[in-house]
Amino acid sequence: MPVLRNVATMSTGSSAIRVRGLHKRYGRTHALRGLDFEVPRGQLTGFLGPNGAGKTTTFRALLGLTRPNEGEIEMLGLPVPASLPEIVKKVGVIVEEPGLIKSLNGRLNLAVAADTLGFGHDRIEGLLDFVGLSADAHRKAGDYSKGMRQRLALAAAMLGDPELLILDEPLDGLDPAGQHAFRARLRDLAAEGRSVVVSSHDLADIEALADHVVVIDQGRLVVEGPLETMLGAGNTRVRLADGADAVGVLAAAGFEVSRDEMGLIVMSAEGAEIIRALAGAGIYPDEVRPERSTLESVFLGLTGTTMR
Amino acid sequence: MSLLRAEYRKISRRKIFPVMTLLLVAFVGLAAFFLIVFGEIAPEVAEGLPVLEKPFVYEVGAQQAATQFWFPLVLAVVLLGGDLSTTVWATSLTRESRKGRQIGSRFGVYAVATLLAFLIAFAFWVVLALIFAPGEGFMEGDALVGVVWKSAVIAVAWTAIGTGAVSLLRSVGPAIGVGLAIYFAEGFLALWGPWENVSITAASTALFEIDFGGGFSGLIPGMGLPLWHRLAILAAWTLLGLALTWWGLQRRDA
Repeated sequence: MPVLRNVATMSTGSSAIRVRGLHKRYGRTHALRGLDFEVPRGQLTGFLGPNGAGKTTTFRALLGLTRPNEGEIEMLGLPVPASLPEIVKKVGVIVEEPGLIKSLNGRLNLAVAADTLGFGHDRIEGLLDFVGLSADAHRKAGDYSKGMRQRLALAAAMLGDPELLILDEPLDGLDPAGQHAFRARLRDLAAEGRSVVVSSHDLADIEALADHVVVIDQGRLVVEGPLETMLGAGNTRVRLADGADAVGVLAAAGFEVSRDEMGLIVMSAEGAEIIRALAGAGIYPDEVRPERSTLESVFLGLTGTTMR
Repeated sequence: MSLLRAEYRKISRRKIFPVMTLLLVAFVGLAAFFLIVFGEIAPEVAEGLPVLEKPFVYEVGAQQAATQFWFPLVLAVVLLGGDLSTTVWATSLTRESRKGRQIGSRFGVYAVATLLAFLIAFAFWVVLALIFAPGEGFMEGDALVGVVWKSAVIAVAWTAIGTGAVSLLRSVGPAIGVGLAIYFAEGFLALWGPWENVSITAASTALFEIDFGGGFSGLIPGMGLPLWHRLAILAAWTLLGLALTWWGLQRRDA
């Protein structure tokens, strides 16, 4: 018996999306295994995970395109799937194929999308301008570059003036210029106070874009939080001539330590305590400084694997 | 109206409709070549083929055009199948209030397009018949009206089978395969007495009540069924196709 409940009692709070205990099985494949996360309102959130982590399945579940076996979903303060007809009016989406018609020009593609979704045509010219396609709106979408097609898909997702945008791998396959242009549009949308969720398997994409990050792997949450907090999460770099003794000293003092070719990384922001522990053992490092992590290192530290 | 406009824009700007219509005209033209032209240009070789005289030849043409069942099957599968994986269609389907209209607008536009293609192919047959067929006269007004409504009923029923197949299978290739398998298997089953009573092929083919003699005489299935029975069969298959379409699109986990 499906146990997805309509969560009428969920708080409306400040979350654009709240997911609790989401499970989705396709036969023997367990795509989502009790996934929990929240997406704050008015921010650009990166939804990260290796290929096969469950990102697209999650998005499909959010939009009612697949039915979870278990769990609770709330979007814009409303329960899914009970309020989907109301929710989708406020949500713009790029999931899977955007559905552009190659034989139609850019402007007509937006007209067809507006008619299909039940929106008016009054925003079309403004959106073409916003995504930088006004001059090319008369050209067939089949003649567009991938970046232009993605920007047209973004314009289609914006037709209903959505509060929340859910974009599945929108930067995938774009050249650097295309990525730059697309990121700029996404930042503009977030600056207007819209909530934007962008999935990617590319950590650098999200590191360059997001305010908030949700990382999932194998259908479970790995970590979520503000990007700055996550990257500056408090590691300390220690450089010294011979690290072998220092590792033992720091470990004995209760620090978690790893070594690389540049020295030691101590999983703590307590620089003074690290120096005190080392100095107490007669070890004087050449350098002790806060280590800003990369998302790659955060992911590696949390899962023991790299993004595939 | 906006949904119909969207579907009209899509089908009118895509190559698939004119390409398939050309193919349909070619198929009907080939039939016309053997049934009309061949007898005129090589009567000694065409011996044994029925001689189709005016105005009967026009009714045969209407039947030949409207019984190209592959046309509505493939058109519906390709057009609806192309939409199924897209974001716009997927998200629009989540709006239950519009789901019936979403399906209805597509189904209606595909059926009307099929009817138009049938009539174009029929017109091509008429031109060849005017030039090559012996005899005099043209169809009466009520016969022309009959061509239109009978073609429309067939277009609707086979379009429904196409939309049902692709909605269930969610993929154009397999849906075309299954659709054409139904097309051929049903054609053979229609010759088997018990199945003839429920056969969409028999009901469609016999709707025009054409038995043009020669070696084909008596081979048209469904000719023994009354008109109401044929229409009931077509209505039942239409409802089945639409029900499968609705149900297939409800199954979002496929």
